[in-house]
Formats: sequence, C-alpha cells, structure tokens
Amino acid sequence: MMDVDLRIYEHPILRFIRGRAVSFTFNNRQIRGYEGESIAAALLAAGIKVFRRSMKLGRARGFYCGIGKCSSCLMRVDGIPNVRTCIEPVRGGMIVETQTWEPDLPTTMEFDVKREKVDVDIAVVGGGPAGLEAAITASKLGATVAVIDENYKAGGQLIKQTHKFFGSVEAYAGVRGINIANKLLSELRKTKAHWILGSSVFAHYSGSSESLLAYGGGRYYRIRAKKVVYSTGAMENMLLFPNNDLPGVYGAGGVQTIMNVYGVKPGNEALIVGAGNVGLILGYQLLQAGVRVRAVVEIMPKIGGYKVHANKLMRQGVPILTSHTIKEVQGKEWVESATIVEVDKNFNMIEGSEERLNVDLVCIAVGLSPSIELPAQAGAKTSYIPELGGYVPLHNKFLKTSLENVYVAGDASGIEEATTAMFEGRIAGAETSASLGYNVQRAETIVENTMRQLEMFRKSPFSSRVVKGKMKVFSMMGDLT
Amino acid sequence: MKERTDVLIIGGGVNGCALAYYLVKRGANVTLVEREYIACGSSGRNAGGIRQQWSTRENVRLAMGSVKIFERLDEELGCETDYRQGGYLILAHTEEEVKQFKRNVSMQKSEGLEVEYLEQDEINDIVPELNVEGIGAIGATWCPSDGHADPIKVTIGYAEAAARKGAQIYKYTEVLGFRVEDNEIVEVKTSRGSIRADYIVNAAGAYSKEIAKLLGVQLPNKPYRHEILITEPVKPFFTPMIISFHDNFYFRQTPEGQIIGGWGNPREEPGYNYESSLTFAKNMARLLTKYMPKLRHVNVLRQWAGLYDVTPDARPILGPVETVRNFIQMNGFSGHGFMVAPMTATLIAQLIMGEKTSLPIKDLSLERFKGEVVKEVSVVG
Repeated sequence: MMDVDLRIYEHPILRFIRGRAVSFTFNNRQIRGYEGESIAAALLAAGIKVFRRSMKLGRARGFYCGIGKCSSCLMRVDGIPNVRTCIEPVRGGMIVETQTWEPDLPTTMEFDVKREKVDVDIAVVGGGPAGLEAAITASKLGATVAVIDENYKAGGQLIKQTHKFFGSVEAYAGVRGINIANKLLSELRKTKAHWILGSSVFAHYSGSSESLLAYGGGRYYRIRAKKVVYSTGAMENMLLFPNNDLPGVYGAGGVQTIMNVYGVKPGNEALIVGAGNVGLILGYQLLQAGVRVRAVVEIMPKIGGYKVHANKLMRQGVPILTSHTIKEVQGKEWVESATIVEVDKNFNMIEGSEERLNVDLVCIAVGLSPSIELPAQAGAKTSYIPELGGYVPLHNKFLKTSLENVYVAGDASGIEEATTAMFEGRIAGAETSASLGYNVQRAETIVENTMRQLEMFRKSPFSSRVVKGKMKVFSMMGDLT
Repeated sequence: MKERTDVLIIGGGVNGCALAYYLVKRGANVTLVEREYIACGSSGRNAGGIRQQWSTRENVRLAMGSVKIFERLDEELGCETDYRQGGYLILAHTEEEVKQFKRNVSMQKSEGLEVEYLEQDEINDIVPELNVEGIGAIGATWCPSDGHADPIKVTIGYAEAAARKGAQIYKYTEVLGFRVEDNEIVEVKTSRGSIRADYIVNAAGAYSKEIAKLLGVQLPNKPYRHEILITEPVKPFFTPMIISFHDNFYFRQTPEGQIIGGWGNPREEPGYNYESSLTFAKNMARLLTKYMPKLRHVNVLRQWAGLYDVTPDARPILGPVETVRNFIQMNGFSGHGFMVAPMTATLIAQLIMGEKTSLPIKDLSLERFKGEVVKEVSVVG
C-alpha cells in the first residue's frame, strides 16, 4: 500500500511546526504521527476516515466536531474503549483500534491514576476567548484561578481562525484569531493561574464550596472553588439528510481544526452547507489549504454572513447558491458525492432542481448550540432562547446565573462571537474577583468600561438578534429574583 | 375538568397509571391527576429491577403475581417495555445472612418460586466477571425468573393504554384540598377545578403523606433520597441484577450495555432532597470497581436522585383507612413500588370494584401500625 500523507506543507498564512515523529498502530497497521497531533488528525492525514461502527446498525462513523463535544470519533486506545480521538494526543507505540458495534470492556487492568486536589478562588471551565479573558482579569486582580480545558491545546476556537478580526482596537481588530489566542495565552502565562489542560470537567457538586471533578491524562482532579465561570463554548449543529452520518460529512469547525490547527487536508472537493460567517470563512480557508470548493449552499434567500467574506469567496469563483440546500449524500464507507437542491420560499425542495456534485467533503455550517451541560447540572435555571442558539443558563448583565457562585461567559451564555466572548469573559472575571473582595474598585472600573465596549460593539445591526435574546434572558433572570 | 368520576387517582407514577388501566378495563370511569408529568417521580428514576426474592411471604406473592403480568405486559399494553428475565443474584457476606437467605429460599420455594442457594464457588457460574472473593461474598441466592424492565416505558405504557380505554389524565394538576362529609370525601379541589368522586386513591409516592395530611390522616411514611447512576455503554456481558444488602448496593447492565445501579447511604436523613452528591459518586465508583474490576475505565454518564417512600416495616400501605371511608391508600412502597405495581394495581382495582382480591391485603392496611409489625428485611435502604 502506498503511504498516504495529507499533511499541508505549504500554506499562504500558516506555518505548521510539527513535533517529533512517532509511530503507532491502527488496526495492526503502522501509522506515522507527530507529537502534538491528535489521533484523529494523524489518522485523517494517513487517509483513514472510518473510526468506528455505529452500535445498532454498524454504519461507518468518523470524525465530526474535532473538539471533544460529539461522540463520532470514539475509538479503542490502549485497550480503553470510547476514547475521544479528536482530543487525545498521539504517543509513540499506542494501539488504536476501530470500535465495532458495542465497545468491548476495557482489556487493560492498569489503573495508575494520580489524584490531585486544587483549591482556588475561581475555577474557569473552558479556555477559549471568554475563559482566557476571565482568567487573566481575575488573576491580575489578585484572585487565585484555575483554567480547565478538555482540549490539550488552549485557546478554544481562536486557534483555528486565520482571518483578521473586525471591530474595535480594544478587541484586537485587524489581528488574526490565532494571534489573539497566542497573545491571550502568553498574557495568562505571566500570571500564577493554574492550568489543567486535556482534562474534562465531568461533575459539579455544590456544598460549603463548589466542587468540580475533572479527569484527563491519567490524572483525576478535585477542584474546590468559591466561584465558577463556565466558558464552555458551543457545539456545532447537525442537519438532517440521508447519509448525514457518513465520514466526510464534518462540522465546519471540525474541518477548521483539522486543517488550520493540525495542517491536514480534510478532502479534495468540498461542499459547504450554510453561508453564515463560519461557512464563508471556512470557504476561503479551504481554498488556502488547496481544497477545491464546489459550492456554498444557503437555504435562506440571502447570504447570512458579512459581505466582505462573501465577496472574497466569489472573487475566487466559488458559487454561493442561496435558496439551496443539501438533499443527501451518497457513498458506501464515506462521502463520494452530494446532491444539492433548490428550495421555494417555504423552504420546500423543488423537484427536478437537483444537482449532483462529486465531492468527498461536506462541511456543515448551520449554527451552534451553547454547551450548557455543566451549569445546568449544577442547577442553574435555563431557558430556550432561539436568538441565542437554544437553551442558555439565565444570567444577569454581570453574567451571574441563578446560582450565587456560578457565572457564564461567551457562547455558553448565548451564541455570539469571539470578540463579545472576550468582553463577557473580562466582565465575569472582574465580577467574580470583586465579589470575593479582590481589588474591588479596580474591578468595578473594568466592569464598567467593558460593559460600555460591549454595548458599542452590539450596536451593529448584525447584533440585533443577539441583543433581543440577551434582553429576554436578563428580564427572565430579573423575574426569578 | 369534568365534574364527577367514579375513581380519582392522585399521582401519575407507575402504581397510579397501572391502577387507572385496570379500572378502566373493568368499566370504571377513571380520572388521574398528576402534579407534574407522567413518571416524573420515583417511577422515572429507578433502575427498573423486578425481583421476587423477598423475606416476607406477602411480598413474594405480590412480586410473583407481578412477574406473571410483566411476562405478557408488552402484548397487553401494546408497547415495548424492554422486559427481560435476566435473574437476580443476591450476595451473602455474613453467616447471619447465609442463615436468613436459606430461610428465605425455603419459604420462596414453598410459594412455587424457582430459586436456589449458591455456594461461594458457584457464584461465578452466573456472573464470571464478579470478584467474589474480593468483595467477601460467601454465598448467594439466584432466581432466574427475576429481571428488569424500563420503568418509564412501563409507566407511560400503562398511562397511554388507560387513556385509550377512556381514562382522563390531567397532567400539571395539583390537589389543593378536600371537602369531607360524614367521614367521606365528597369533592376534591384541584388547580384545574373541583371534581366529585366515589373513591379517591392516594398514589402520590413520597408525597402521599402530604396528601393524607390535607385530610387529617397521619401516614407513618418518610421520604428518603436514593441516588443512582448510569455509565457509558459497553458490550453486554452480564444479565442479572446483582444486589448486596451488606453493602447496601445493587447494579445491572441495560440491554444497550450501560451499567445502572445505586447505593443507599446509611446516614441519609429523611427529607425531600433531590440533589446529587459527591459522596454517592465516590462510593459507587469504589463499589463498582471492587465488584467488577474490569469497570475501572468505564465512564459514568449521569447520576440523579429519587425518593423512597419508606414505611416503618418497609411494606406498602394498601386499602381504605378508618377515618375517611372512601380514601384508598396505595403508597409506602419503600423503594420497590415499580416491581410490584402490576399486582398491587390489580388488587386495588379488584377492591374498588367489589371483587374478591386475588391476594389478601388486609394485613397491609394503615391500621397495622397500631400493633406489632413484621419487617421486610431484604431491602436496600
């Protein structure tokens, strides 16, 4: 068999610095990976798309979200079933196997787990733009902080954004997302904040203080905190169509991760579903990575994202088809083609308008849902707010939920964008610190200023929907108290 | 809300819904009120175990009667309840337990139950992965016709079948008070209006005590939180429910492969507490991995809590009370209300319809607490 290597070695914007080469086995086959890569990235780079078989029908399943939020990429690693291979780093000599039907019991009896107790003022769960800002702000004000993230690379979704941000200078306008992430990370590194990466918080118990449990990398953490900020981000929405579970149908964000973080070409010919900002930006990121983009389909009669992004894509000859959607994909073990179709004004498919595209990659960019499992488990009141992407924990403008010690920030408090996530994180970081008596005056000034910046930013017509949603949340929160 | 009904059932748990079904089947006009939604209480929170191995004869009879009904329930209700007869393996850890279990087995056998006592070296024949010596099990009892079902599917199955036959079910409807004349309830006030009924059945689970209080009837029941958890799925490798009264602990594997189980904290205080505790999670992790070391790398997905409606003798309270003649009790199931529901509901339906009950239930009336009681000892409390 010819060795396949889909890694990107030349890129107009990004330089991929790979770690030491290591070798591991996948279903008895030797695979090359590089330290720093996830198992999923190394497998995709080797041209492997089928990661497991579904439990009931045995259908092929592969990569999807890339950030540990779905269960599509579960595999058996060193005898342990159900490992999320998209957030598990490769190690030399590891044994990776496809799970078929129901996963077998763990075969390893080794259980050499280290236990660690962490005691802090503020626990920040999720190290994306909101979480990093919260942690930096709180640390600078004097609070002790722990940042926990289930990804082994911090920075959330910023690390895959190659485009330059808009907005105000305070919010890094003109800077590429990946550089914002690096800036925030180096700023946080200057503080005494405790980092716990590659570990998932899986429980929250309230008592005399808040107790979080986290596990990852053979370490089990019990984190006691006086305040908890949930900046857990969001999860990509799926779309219903026949064969939507075939490998090759990936979340747009998942594709960005594979391509921009790990430098692996996700396919050769792509179809993008959804012409919001994520879909449009992904379009030219795919072009940068050498992937041909056959079309972007958008079910609405208008393009949802910024015109500047759409124009950039159209200049490269990529058609953006409004009032179009995906009907189905075809393929045996992975995507071999996709059928798109025009819709009428009631979004019904127009018979006879189908067109079949020979693509091997379908990117789903149809919005996000807030990741609220942990605050909800802790008992925070939630409500369905369509303007904010689904269920969100109710909160006031200071980002406090219905629970005295629990805050939310960023997409977890309602889908918006990285810039506003940073503002919210800063407010939550300052608020929690002030509530514990750290540098109260300074903290209040930060809150006031940031609140003003946030308001300014949200004056844009693109924010009107979010503002409406936030108003609903604030008023429902007010009714609780 | 309609003006009158033959029987008003308070509580949309498995017992209330099953009773509604057996009553409408007999031609009665039935109304059921539920404060929240069907199976929102203990019926939707338990592990679905169905066992016949009890220490008191009447519980064995109730349970055996229920199993006969469970065996044909899917057909009867026209739904899937995931009922499986995977057996119950009850572990003995002390000589005292061995003695008690042997007594139980001979009593159960005399009732016609197929059950046997297993020596220590026979336990792994039933569940090879069980760490028999490590957990200190010295014997066990085994009944292959015990089993489990999905309690939510059973409860909803009964409710829907009852509704199809004409029962009126009012969800999100709270009982606010009663009008009593000559020691009889003549009217029930609810958040949806008033209704008159010949019989009023108190099947409100852990809240039955509060309902009875509205009538000045004192029930000795106390609510106790009971916690439970479920793991991610792994390929099914054992079918029985495994119980240890010694460790106050039980677990089984669902047909989908998830491990579900609970542990009773001996220090639990009575109260309406639904919070999940770290103490429970820690103890469950310790016990599960001790009983089956292979579960060490299996992740817990969720934990939650429900309420046991516990009576002083851990047996249910069934039938009328002296002071309010048409107020029928169907509560106090003490943590095993799901598994006996088909039979208890049949008995209460027979009682209300003036039929001869297929099992005597006089001994289970509220009045028994005036005298000395025989306690059911085979319980996880």
